[in-house]
Amino acid sequence: MYIDLHSHSVSSDDSRATVEQYVKWVQVLRDKRGCTIDGFVLTEHRKFDFDKDYSQLAAEYNVLIMKASELDTRCGHVLVYGVNEGLAKDIDLGDVKMDARELIKAARHHGAIAVPAHPGRFGIGLVDYMDQGETFADLNIVERLNGGSRAGENERADTLCRDHSYLGTGGSDAHLASHLGTCMTSFPTDIKNERQLVDALLAGDFTPVWLKDIQQNN
Amino acid sequence: MPDQNGPFFEDVDLGDEIGPIELVATDDNVVNFCELWGNPMPNRFTSQEIAEKSGLFGPIVPGVMSMAIMSQALTDWAGPESLKDLDLVFRQPVPHNKPLLVSATITDTREEDGKNLIECDVLMMGEAGERYVGGTAIIALPSNRGQ
Repeated sequence: MYIDLHSHSVSSDDSRATVEQYVKWVQVLRDKRGCTIDGFVLTEHRKFDFDKDYSQLAAEYNVLIMKASELDTRCGHVLVYGVNEGLAKDIDLGDVKMDARELIKAARHHGAIAVPAHPGRFGIGLVDYMDQGETFADLNIVERLNGGSRAGENERADTLCRDHSYLGTGGSDAHLASHLGTCMTSFPTDIKNERQLVDALLAGDFTPVWLKDIQQNN
Repeated sequence: MPDQNGPFFEDVDLGDEIGPIELVATDDNVVNFCELWGNPMPNRFTSQEIAEKSGLFGPIVPGVMSMAIMSQALTDWAGPESLKDLDLVFRQPVPHNKPLLVSATITDTREEDGKNLIECDVLMMGEAGERYVGGTAIIALPSNRGQ
């Protein structure tokens, strides 16, 4: 399965894409560009949309739509998959100065998983914080491919993964409909919901991919 | 019927791309814009010193000028008075004297209240992939039905 693990709808203040526009764009990718994209994860900034249900839209367009969060920490942005009421009770999702290590621990405690986003981003990525001496003993996975990265930033994430034996995901970081799917994560297993996504990430069997590379291979 | 040099509604499809159009906002361009705009100079758009005091790397392109540049890219393609809505997010400061790539991608087409509308994602990027300004636009196109 190819799933875009990082996207933002208008529920995030800096996005202009509706979820309806995203599912329509998935049809463009599939029908006009011959791409395979099975689903995407809405990783809204500093929140989790407990009240939103996209199951009808997902069924109508045959697209897997999952929900997650992108939270701000003192050491950069962190994607959290498998967010639930327990985690939201323990962690203030809107706290922009939370400790990334505490978030990683709390996520695991509540059956979720935390993945630092765009770690190679200049100035605000995990790489810069680790260069300053920050350490993250409980970290296993980072976002290796980010569709919004500038030149050199994904390469820094590559180096980070190599140096620390981290596994890497891929996500577009789309804030506009037409950016969805530019980077994705390939899973060999079938994933139907957030719980299974967390399990698949914990299993460690996945690969980050560029859409353009999948197109070439189709 | 007015002259139609731009596309007809029936000519465009989801996923079609406009551009990228490459241009540079030079120091002189920005000064001229500020004069027309009526923004007193020097300011953070024209002065290195004032820009640095504002925490910027240097003078930047005014947001309203970036909007004008992106609007023009769309109206050059679709024709004057075609642009009905432009909703932008300013993600990073736009630098002077560096290549700016403006592009749009058609994400939806619809007929509404007798108008033929297309919705686009519109983006201003830098050479290294910086996403300076992004958002959506709604453009009305003429139809060629009945011709």
